[in-house]
Amino acid sequence: MTGVRLHPFTLLTIAAVLPALAWILPAPDGAAATLVVALVLTLTPGAKLTPGASPGNASLWSFPGWRPGLVRLRTAVVTAAPFWLFLLLLHDVPTTIAIGLRVTTMVATFVWLVAALDPARLVEAMVAAGWSASVAYLLAATFSAVPVLKARAQRIVEAQRCRGLSPRGGIPARLRALRALALPLVLSALHEVDERALALETRGLVPGIRRTPLAPPPDPAAERAARWALLLVCLVALVRRFIVQPFS
Amino acid sequence: MIAALRLEEVSFSYGSVPALERVSFSVAPGERVALLGRNGAGKSTVVRLIAGLQRPDEGTVWVGDWDTRDCVPEQLAWRVGSVFQHADQQLFARTVRDDVSFGPRALGVGEREVERRTDRALEDLDLTAHAGHHPYDLPPALRKLTALAGALASEPALLVLDEPTIGLDRTLRARVTRALLDRSAGSVALLVITHDLTFAAETLERGVVLDRGSLACDESLAALLGDVTRLEPLGLAPPPVAALSAALDLPGRPVRAADAAAALARVARGKPVP
Repeated sequence: MTGVRLHPFTLLTIAAVLPALAWILPAPDGAAATLVVALVLTLTPGAKLTPGASPGNASLWSFPGWRPGLVRLRTAVVTAAPFWLFLLLLHDVPTTIAIGLRVTTMVATFVWLVAALDPARLVEAMVAAGWSASVAYLLAATFSAVPVLKARAQRIVEAQRCRGLSPRGGIPARLRALRALALPLVLSALHEVDERALALETRGLVPGIRRTPLAPPPDPAAERAARWALLLVCLVALVRRFIVQPFS
Repeated sequence: MIAALRLEEVSFSYGSVPALERVSFSVAPGERVALLGRNGAGKSTVVRLIAGLQRPDEGTVWVGDWDTRDCVPEQLAWRVGSVFQHADQQLFARTVRDDVSFGPRALGVGEREVERRTDRALEDLDLTAHAGHHPYDLPPALRKLTALAGALASEPALLVLDEPTIGLDRTLRARVTRALLDRSAGSVALLVITHDLTFAAETLERGVVLDRGSLACDESLAALLGDVTRLEPLGLAPPPVAALSAALDLPGRPVRAADAAAALARVARGKPVP
């Protein structure tokens, strides 16, 4: 977010409420509305550029302030596109649109969250709120792992291509290539778990020990109220959708 | 004779950030070249351009008589063996032998030839005893050697190595030096990015230095490393032997340990240096 740094819990609340509303509100209007909000969020300038992303069409990049947002928007659209294809193969057009809008909202919201949420701030906020440091780290590590794994996957693809592996061709060839591309990613990630666990222990991240946050992110009363309001909106929508007007 | 590698006025930018500007140099078959420079000088970009992972904005990168602009990385793998900094992360097969043989197999080399190349690469790096081990059961240094063996097994005309000695002890570094000298004697051209100038002095013969994306110098490595005063402005620290030679003002300013020892012995005996 530009200038304003929302509290990590606020970011998580938005990221939870938007997809929830996408599924609760009637399609296509409700899902389309949540998707618009999610896409606007991905375009919000100021968040860091997704690691591993490379500049593409020069004309799109002529206004530097929008580059990070455009990268995120492209990531969200490219990630969601295959879902639309599968849905179209399995369902009729209205169902495809209904589910597709909801899935795209989820993808766009997650892409925005990964870019906007600083894992270190999340750990600080969770510890300040009384969570155990190990639980806080577990959640934060999940978010921080996404760009790291993405960059590593890119490196592996490039390295295997430079060893002569073609990721193109028919389905059997692609499946063979998939083994050489996916296995190193999984193996190296698993291998890293041991080293990471050891590093955390040596840095004092032991379950059961209460820690004092060094610099807890500010959490103004207005933001706390906004978080509860968002959750309330979600609850009201849920009640309205399934109890008051169950088949609207 | 066609150069194994030739860069002609190559420029490249990441978006609006320039990485290389009108860089030209070539590497002859069998030549051993160190690509040097401080972090961010553009060395890794040169490797990516040679491997076909990026296309130059201007200029041409020739691998033999192939313009890399017309080739995808898997085609260039016939002529270029690339080993990147995190090469140990590319391993995936159940045994070291299977992983080393992956490159030639992916290139469609016949089974008997694959076996021969694999055996040779494993022997060159003293990995034969580990051939049946799972790569992830090996320590990181040996995994790095396994990745290098994979590049050797493809038997390319040009080997491009990005920091091949990081994390290796003296013994393993000596293995790499021996294997590279052996391949070079067989006309394989070497382009090695390294900050390990001791390894460079022992293994390589020519130094190409990049500074902020431009070619800063291209000359004999012994002459470059022997002139300690020129290294610091280029972001390079002299290897200990070169620093010692300079401090003692040894005749010829040797940069290799064996040459420095010989020069010291001559000085000690009071004999004139040839």
